[in-house]
Amino acid sequence: MIRADLTFRDVTLRKILSIAEAYAREMTCSASLTRLTAYCAGLMLSGLMFSASSHAADIPLYPTGPSADSSFVRFINGTDAALELTAAGSKAKVQLDLKTPSTVFYPVRAKSEIKGQFSLAQSKSDISTSVKAGEFVSVIALADGSKLKHVAIGEEPDDFNALKVSLALYNVGTTCASASLQVVGRDVMLFEKVATNTLTRRMINPVKISVQLLCGDQVIGGPLELGELIAGERYSVFAVPAAGTTRVFIVSDAVAR
Amino acid sequence: MAAGTLAGIAMLVLGESHLSLPGYLMNPLYEELTTQGASVHAIGACGATAGDWLKKVEVPCGADRFKGDTVFKGRAATTSPIKELIAQDKPNLVVIILGDTMASYDNETFPRAWAWQGITGLTKEIAATQTPCVWVGPAWGTPGGKYFKNDKRVEFMAGFLEKNVAPCVFIDSLKFSKPGQWATVDGQHFNLAGYQAWSANITKALAALPVVQGLKK
Repeated sequence: MIRADLTFRDVTLRKILSIAEAYAREMTCSASLTRLTAYCAGLMLSGLMFSASSHAADIPLYPTGPSADSSFVRFINGTDAALELTAAGSKAKVQLDLKTPSTVFYPVRAKSEIKGQFSLAQSKSDISTSVKAGEFVSVIALADGSKLKHVAIGEEPDDFNALKVSLALYNVGTTCASASLQVVGRDVMLFEKVATNTLTRRMINPVKISVQLLCGDQVIGGPLELGELIAGERYSVFAVPAAGTTRVFIVSDAVAR
Repeated sequence: MAAGTLAGIAMLVLGESHLSLPGYLMNPLYEELTTQGASVHAIGACGATAGDWLKKVEVPCGADRFKGDTVFKGRAATTSPIKELIAQDKPNLVVIILGDTMASYDNETFPRAWAWQGITGLTKEIAATQTPCVWVGPAWGTPGGKYFKNDKRVEFMAGFLEKNVAPCVFIDSLKFSKPGQWATVDGQHFNLAGYQAWSANITKALAALPVVQGLKK
């Protein structure tokens, strides 16, 4: 096999957060963000340097893809209050509140250890997770009585499609063992019986709809307006614990570019 | 300028190694397109993936042909950010000819997330400029060779591109020939006859697209 000996750039949570902090400050994709997302290009360059020594008759040899698929991690605030996300060994912080409960998905090195901490007042939850190649991991902060905890849920999507909307339901509602989403005004279930700490994803047409959460057969809360869903984009609805019940919100699965 | 099927269209054509050597796609395609009346700026970058056209990336070889002048480059070759190219050329059509560099022919697992990230990154940059675009997928090669190109993966790659290049319009090069019909020098790169056939088919397919017909002056 002709394979380049590729070296991944070390992408730590600290680096992610320092970049996220700058991103939040400027609200534009900064050069730093570009540097982060460019790590795959770094792989390609490594491969190309390798290829120079394997010169062929007509054209230098080059890899036809990376040595490992891309990996991503994002952080979600599933509590009712604003909290802070901090990288281990860094003062870089990102605030996640009800208006902006999610970071984007950040590219990370597969199998690397992602370390940090969610903090809400005096409550803290230490994060230590890793991401497999091709995996998108969501680390979700949750209230645990007066304390803070988190769960990490990974998915390895195979439904990429620019003509459809990709929508997921993440159920982390501790009092909702079986979550469903029904389209408001229609006898149509978008998702059915999603167990706690799991997710289900499906493709839908780019339409404007509202959904209603059901836990078991019980209608919970009011309808959630999903807004204008755009073809080719990916979204997640999160069902999270809220004052003895379960609430839902939607976030875009945007990737840092 | 001859009143051909592509008369009056200013094209920015970007590609991988297929577009980087004179005996490859660069010259026959450039000549086919200009014969049909298009004004063409064609740039090839060996090994470049979709994501590499979002920034300047060094590549082991490349070519640049514009207004009749052709420069074939060795290790000095680079990609250029698509936004800069579009701002500079102001094309009314972008044509991307790319697939083999992203197919991971030598890897049993196709890197979906990486490919999706690169493809959508490029199409979104193009869409942001409101420039119509066409993405030409890979053609059949001959199984084996130093790039390990194989029919199953190239078919998968074409299907993946077809689903993910919107708003670019996809042209499926697999429909232009049968597997193995166009002879290759290394499993992936064709001989001149293959490139001439590919060029003629791309030009014909482009001219038939509604988005291209709407651009003709």
